[in-house]
Amino acid sequence: MTEKSKQAGVGATPILDVRDLVVRYGQRTAVDNVSLEIRRGEIFGLLGPNGAGKTSTLSAIEGLVKPSGGTVSVDGIDIQRDPLAAKARLGVQLQASSFQSELAIEQIVRLYAGLYGVSMTKQQIADRIRTIGLDGELGKRFKSLSGGQQQRLSLLIAVIHEPVLLLLDEPTAGLDPQSRRQLWDRIENLRTAGGSILLTTHSMEEAEAVCDRVAIIDHGKLLTVDTPAGLIAQHRNDPRVTKVARGKITLEDVFIGLTGSEIRD
Amino acid sequence: MTDSTAIATPGSARPAIGLIFGSLLRADFTVLFRSSRTLLLNVALPIFILVLIDTRTGNKGGAAGFSGAGFAIGLALTYGLMSSSLIGYSLSVARDREAGVFQRLRVTPAPTWAIMTSRLLVQIVLDLLMTVIVVIVGTIIHNQNFTVGELLLLVCASIAGGAMFLAIAQALVGLVRSASVVNAVGRVLYVILLLLGLLGSSGLLGITVKDISDWTPVGAMINVYAGVLDLAHWGSTATTGLIAMAAYIVIGAFIGIRWFRWDSR
Repeated sequence: MTEKSKQAGVGATPILDVRDLVVRYGQRTAVDNVSLEIRRGEIFGLLGPNGAGKTSTLSAIEGLVKPSGGTVSVDGIDIQRDPLAAKARLGVQLQASSFQSELAIEQIVRLYAGLYGVSMTKQQIADRIRTIGLDGELGKRFKSLSGGQQQRLSLLIAVIHEPVLLLLDEPTAGLDPQSRRQLWDRIENLRTAGGSILLTTHSMEEAEAVCDRVAIIDHGKLLTVDTPAGLIAQHRNDPRVTKVARGKITLEDVFIGLTGSEIRD
Repeated sequence: MTDSTAIATPGSARPAIGLIFGSLLRADFTVLFRSSRTLLLNVALPIFILVLIDTRTGNKGGAAGFSGAGFAIGLALTYGLMSSSLIGYSLSVARDREAGVFQRLRVTPAPTWAIMTSRLLVQIVLDLLMTVIVVIVGTIIHNQNFTVGELLLLVCASIAGGAMFLAIAQALVGLVRSASVVNAVGRVLYVILLLLGLLGSSGLLGITVKDISDWTPVGAMINVYAGVLDLAHWGSTATTGLIAMAAYIVIGAFIGIRWFRWDSR
């Protein structure tokens, strides 16, 4: 358990339990016997190159794809057996969040609050929107917001029902450094408030900055799981890692050493 | 700035279906009334046809024994129902699917049937609204009065016709993934069905084409309108129309549900 997670009071009970997960698209196996656990109050990072199986793993947890094998339990509820109850406990921010283009921000918030069973007055909605600095944009449409604003609104909607587990698919992709830092702070705040978070990312900096534990996935298989520092210590002497290292071993060296240097599309 | 994007420790219960469905309906109605294309296809176009038929054809009907105000109103309604479904509904579903709107909705506790039923219900309500407006405008323009019974039957025929064209539109978005292809195919189908239904039923292209036309969606719809507006002379052509409509609803719904994909990839 890391210092960060100790401070946040990470519990031993898993909030997410993924066992032997297999996801196939036709003949292609996107996720191959992946097992992982996320504890209460933990921020867990899933790292992998493009096409490694990160989004497919997340999609299976979100109930968007039906696993070919294995089980996924959210807060003790099997997503296959009771998908709606499991989804009610999840907050989700997809890689490319899209809302009905004709709806204004206020209407989008009202819609998603309703879908999660949260009744909100017009004033309550406006108050929520104000907290993410979009109070002047209530009547605007989602597409007219900047990338950072869209990200903040998507996160607000993902946690509008106070979920026990938040899933973030590449949450900082395309954000400028200021927006990225702000999002990291928000993620940290969410954990402090008692939430657990699973995020996928390409950024080693992000994984080190916010994650208690990190898993590296490639070709659908989970290669290794540990704290960022633990991963570096564990693979410090791995020849694949030392070969690609430039000086002091970093998490990126471990990542490239384990997943290879070739460019993925 | 206070951050309201906070997660609470307790898990969320599954929300009531009433609240979910109400939220979906409210959003779908907002989207519909904010779309100028929808309003144009549903109201302006049928009224334009009513006026056009009056000035150009002198109320000469196409379907056998069907002429005057009844024919003009029936034809305008058929145009309206077909265009709102084949062009309006199918394109909006295909575009939302491509943009990821459905995926975003599917990660919430909203059942998939509720997401789609809400859309269909809103479309049917709009079809009803259009029917009422077209009948009122039609009776004024053509100086024709219908009995209450005729009006009720007209509304029933419109609901059945709306369901038929929606089933065809659903089949279209079930079989075709890309929004631009749905748009192109929808328009081509629209022209073909219209010409086949209208020219065929007029008998101008010969008896064989007329027989075929009676089984086309437009031909069937016009024959049913002709039947309900002249119940005393309800014959085999109107019965054929009714059977054809039922068949299109069943087949279209089956294809549209069986092959529909929530994701455009």
